[in-house]
Amino acid sequence: MRYLVAADTGGTFTDVAVYDAGAGTVAYGKTLTRYDDLALGVLDGLAATGVALADAALVKHGTTHVINTFIQRSGARTALVATRGFRDTLEIGRGNRPVPFSLEYRRLPPLVPRELRFEVGGRLDARGVEIEPLDVAGLGALAAQLRALEVEAVAVSFINAYANPAHEEQAVAVLREALPAAYVTAGTLLTREWFEYERTSTAAANAYVGARMRGYLDAFEARLAERGFGGRFYMMGSNGGVLSAARARAQPVALVESGPIGGCIGAAEYARALGLPRLIAFDMGGTTAKCALVQDGHFDVQPVYYIGGYDHGFPLKTPVLDIVEVGAGGGSIAAVDERGRLSVGPRSAGSEPGPVAFGRGGTEPTVTDANLVLGRIGGSAFMQGRLALDTAAAAQAIAARVAAPLGYHGPDGVDVAAQGVLDLACATMAGAIREITIERGHDVREFRLFAFGGGGPLFATILARRLNIPEVVVPPQPGNFSTLGMLIAGARIDLSRTVVAEAAGEAAARIEAAYAELEAEAARTMQVELGTSALSFERVLEMRYRGQKHTVAVPWTPGQELATLLEAFATTYRRRYGNTNADCAVEILGARLGAQAAIPRPQLERLAGAAGAAAANAVAVRAVYFPPPHGRLDTPVYARAALAAGHAVEGPAIIEEYSATTVLMPGDRAVVGALGELTIRCAP
Amino acid sequence: MNAVPASIARSPDRDPITLEIIRHELVSIPEQIDRNITRTAFSPLINEYKDYAVGIVDPEGRLVSQSRGSLLIFVANALGTAVRDGIALHGAAAIEDGDVLISNHAGTLGQHLNNVVMYTPVRVGPERRLLGFFCVLMHWIDVGGSMVGSCTSTTTTEIWQEGIQFRNVRLFRRGERLADMFRMIECNTRFPEMLMGDVEAQIAGCFMGRDLVAAIADKYGAATYEAAVHAMWDGAEALARAAIGRARAGEYEAHAFLDNDGINLDRPVPIGIKVRVGGGRIAVDFSGVSEQLPGPLNAGRNGGAVAAARIAIKYMLSPDEPVNEGDFRLLDVEIPEGKFLSARPGAPIGGSGNMIPTVVDTVLRALAGAFPDRVAAAHHGTYGVHSFHGISPATGASFFHLDTLPGGWGGSAALDGYGPSRSNVHGDTSDVPVEMQEAFHPYRFESYALRPDSGGPGRHRGGVGVEKVYRITGPCRVNLKIERTGCPPWGLEGGGAGRTADVEIRRTDGSVQRVFKGDHALAPGDRVILRSGGGGGYGAPRQRDAALVARDVRAGLVSPQAALRDYGVAVRENGELDSEATARARAAQPGGEP
Repeated sequence: MRYLVAADTGGTFTDVAVYDAGAGTVAYGKTLTRYDDLALGVLDGLAATGVALADAALVKHGTTHVINTFIQRSGARTALVATRGFRDTLEIGRGNRPVPFSLEYRRLPPLVPRELRFEVGGRLDARGVEIEPLDVAGLGALAAQLRALEVEAVAVSFINAYANPAHEEQAVAVLREALPAAYVTAGTLLTREWFEYERTSTAAANAYVGARMRGYLDAFEARLAERGFGGRFYMMGSNGGVLSAARARAQPVALVESGPIGGCIGAAEYARALGLPRLIAFDMGGTTAKCALVQDGHFDVQPVYYIGGYDHGFPLKTPVLDIVEVGAGGGSIAAVDERGRLSVGPRSAGSEPGPVAFGRGGTEPTVTDANLVLGRIGGSAFMQGRLALDTAAAAQAIAARVAAPLGYHGPDGVDVAAQGVLDLACATMAGAIREITIERGHDVREFRLFAFGGGGPLFATILARRLNIPEVVVPPQPGNFSTLGMLIAGARIDLSRTVVAEAAGEAAARIEAAYAELEAEAARTMQVELGTSALSFERVLEMRYRGQKHTVAVPWTPGQELATLLEAFATTYRRRYGNTNADCAVEILGARLGAQAAIPRPQLERLAGAAGAAAANAVAVRAVYFPPPHGRLDTPVYARAALAAGHAVEGPAIIEEYSATTVLMPGDRAVVGALGELTIRCAP
Repeated sequence: MNAVPASIARSPDRDPITLEIIRHELVSIPEQIDRNITRTAFSPLINEYKDYAVGIVDPEGRLVSQSRGSLLIFVANALGTAVRDGIALHGAAAIEDGDVLISNHAGTLGQHLNNVVMYTPVRVGPERRLLGFFCVLMHWIDVGGSMVGSCTSTTTTEIWQEGIQFRNVRLFRRGERLADMFRMIECNTRFPEMLMGDVEAQIAGCFMGRDLVAAIADKYGAATYEAAVHAMWDGAEALARAAIGRARAGEYEAHAFLDNDGINLDRPVPIGIKVRVGGGRIAVDFSGVSEQLPGPLNAGRNGGAVAAARIAIKYMLSPDEPVNEGDFRLLDVEIPEGKFLSARPGAPIGGSGNMIPTVVDTVLRALAGAFPDRVAAAHHGTYGVHSFHGISPATGASFFHLDTLPGGWGGSAALDGYGPSRSNVHGDTSDVPVEMQEAFHPYRFESYALRPDSGGPGRHRGGVGVEKVYRITGPCRVNLKIERTGCPPWGLEGGGAGRTADVEIRRTDGSVQRVFKGDHALAPGDRVILRSGGGGGYGAPRQRDAALVARDVRAGLVSPQAALRDYGVAVRENGELDSEATARARAAQPGGEP
């Protein structure tokens, strides 16, 4: 039981990382994602590392299953049961129009159409006092109707349930009994905060993905059991911590950004270790590219997440990493429309059929095909030769479907067309990076680009030039980086209590009492989920001036004096907003606890790779195409494993490793750092 | 992204990338301050409904950028108008570092007195060069006057009944608070605690925004900053010019009317609009609108005619780009003084915002001649302001809750109408959640639902409005300013009109009052039912796909009776389309062929 396993199922590849707690080393496996059986893809990846599941103490799993279900609208046939008079809350929302001046503005349609939204009698007032009992008989009749409508999932959301969840609990019990096959959830099982639209939307979304996720987790656990796995199984949560499969079944919305989070955990860890204050974590995979900011070793988590974006989408009340994602990946399809306009993505060839070069039936050229044709990636180097790439077929597809319709012919024409495909993908990705930096008030030039994912290091130096970012960092094993991040992630539970008190008199005693309760609860949960009660706690109070609605977070230390708390509040408030309201009373609204349990995890220094020879030689020379004025250049190809710390490589050069390729443009200079990272100064 | 004019892009410190970064930063700063204000304000009118705007203007009051969620009616010109008047009064040099001024002056801004513009100068470098002003406009919850909420009375006859005016007076001088002025504000509002909290948020927003803008100018240099601002304006103007170039030149007109001014209830208020498109410019001519009104449905020239014309052309010319002064360089606004959209100083203007959506709709209707594929049928066309006030059972203090109605929008050549959502001059303005209202106010909601059959029939159906039913639980009052109940949201190209707004007060004795304006006492057990209008339809209803009509019937958005009457579509009780009966009904409709 010496192994810890992390597995990340992406749109194209399934990545597995295994930490050998005895040896302190990490091994990786990568396979194409198997849509027919996602768990088998993970097991294939694990098999590639040579580790038997029976020897694993822990499996952590990240998946894009939840977000894909929303994006593809492939969730369950879902009904909503609302308080009488409120079935349209889900559609009316807040009645706002986030996009100004647009006659064409439309919001995404609600996940539950009006014909599947139902109402039931029963009413609570704002204090949670019952005004009208829940109409249980009516609910029974409704259950029969839902069965007849072949509904697979039901969301329950009642007005004022945040103040008293009794009616929702009762309704869930009735519906679960009447509809044993259906997935039944309720708003207050997910959030105890007020605001009926946000809670109802969260409940509807949870139901919509819940039935699918339950099936997915059942199948996954069954597969693990078949192979003799007897350890603990966790899912990667969007907040940066892992959660048990049982919690994942009840709250699948907590996994909405389960995939991308691993890379950010890893990027934050490297940022701390390398002392880099500002990073753009840039992850390019097979289907999409994503970016997030890491500042002072931390990434931002947002309390509300909008599926489909704030402008057109709908809210989930669940903590999620602040990330911008665009539809540009290795599998993004390049096409020319009837008006002669080239487009790249967001349509992706995924892993099935995949790029033309994979030889798995793909006919439409992709970004990967363009990279192959231009020599940026080698035909035999992909996945260490386990996936042979057909360069001729890729070139032919680009010639026929991109170059010819655009009026380019011959080998040079194919090069120009392939470069055009990459340029367009770059423009899309640069837009995402601008959004998360410049549009949030940061100067992109003050950040380093920290590139990972299968495609990140291929594009990093090109993107950096485009955005005037002077330096790129590529960690070891960039193609497996997201899974490595998952290995690093601890278990995390976020709990909160409402404690409304003026910050005076006996407030400190009430705060201490609330934390005593929360810490005991966290310890119980961690004992059950992890078998440990050795926890570290972050305690934060939500505070505000009396009368305000929003709060600021102020750290709390056990035994602290109120005077220092008030001082800290004033300091935080002034830094955030520029002023204080000295005459106003200060209120504590809530106590939040983040409980983390340490899990054995890899040491970054040991991942630096082989010490290698002092001077590595190029393993090959390849004709690689670079944009004008360069054209095809004879370019040295290095094996990354042979590059020891302190070694420098001048561009143009290609650095190949398992499942990723780093491109140095002419004039670039890469240096290998102590943790095995490549730091690339980009020529202007 | 706009190309940077070559003349500006020459110098190495003004390369296109730098200008583009400055542009992004200037667009992003008001957004950041916008979020801070939401988080620090005290009244739900600000922190949930979001009745405010944040922006940057240059030393001449020209708009550089503004937060995207701002109410469009503020976006148009309010910030610059206040600043220009301040400069005229004081001289720019006398507005020093750390000064903060406020203005809600009716004679210049022409909007109801609750809208208070606050601004502070942005100066940089050793010479303290003036780069412009950082501005936050906020709807103050109450500024005195005859009725709680100040802008709420529908029967005022002069501005002095609507509250106190501040014409570019200082709240801060060189960073020092002028306590006298704060005391004066505090004594002229019915909600001092809430308002003073909001004012602090407004002040903090001004100072922080100023510092962020100054940091950019310090980093890139004042000259580069100014070059970037000019590039933004030129880019916006170029887009507007291109759009005008694609329009059908000519003169077009349109007519609509408002219900009444609140005083003469039987006298509709005509809105006659002419637009002239051609020669690279657009002129909006308001000389055909009603004379100034005795009641408070007026607006001054800037808050009325200019704001409405600017909003309408932005909808047509470059809706996808952030707004700035360059959007309006090719616009001419024509209106003689003394019309209800160019009211003289002293006129009552409490309803200055409420009627603008209909004015914008009418300008758009006229512009349909020049931009035939772009204009949609009419939307619900009003704010639908309704305010509850009285004593809060939760706090024991007096409360005032201002709310507006989302409604249906018009169908267009490409799409069914959207809705329910707020009016065409609102920004990202949100409902205050039912749960929050019930926690503090003496009423409960019995329902808040879509309103069936309110969308105008058409090949593309108009969006539907809403119905809200309040059950009163403690003594309080409701103040109503519901407009646009006489002139239904029109259809286009053969589409039918949407339903208009409607209000009923049902008393416990069974009596029913239908009222649209005024302040009404409520007793426990009373119900207030508010319905908002739907959007107009686009294209002949009988051309609508019968399957879509059947879908609307199944969803309960169109009744089976209306499906047959308006669309000639027969739907069976189980919700399925009855194709044969539909064919017969459609053949029998005027115009024949289905």
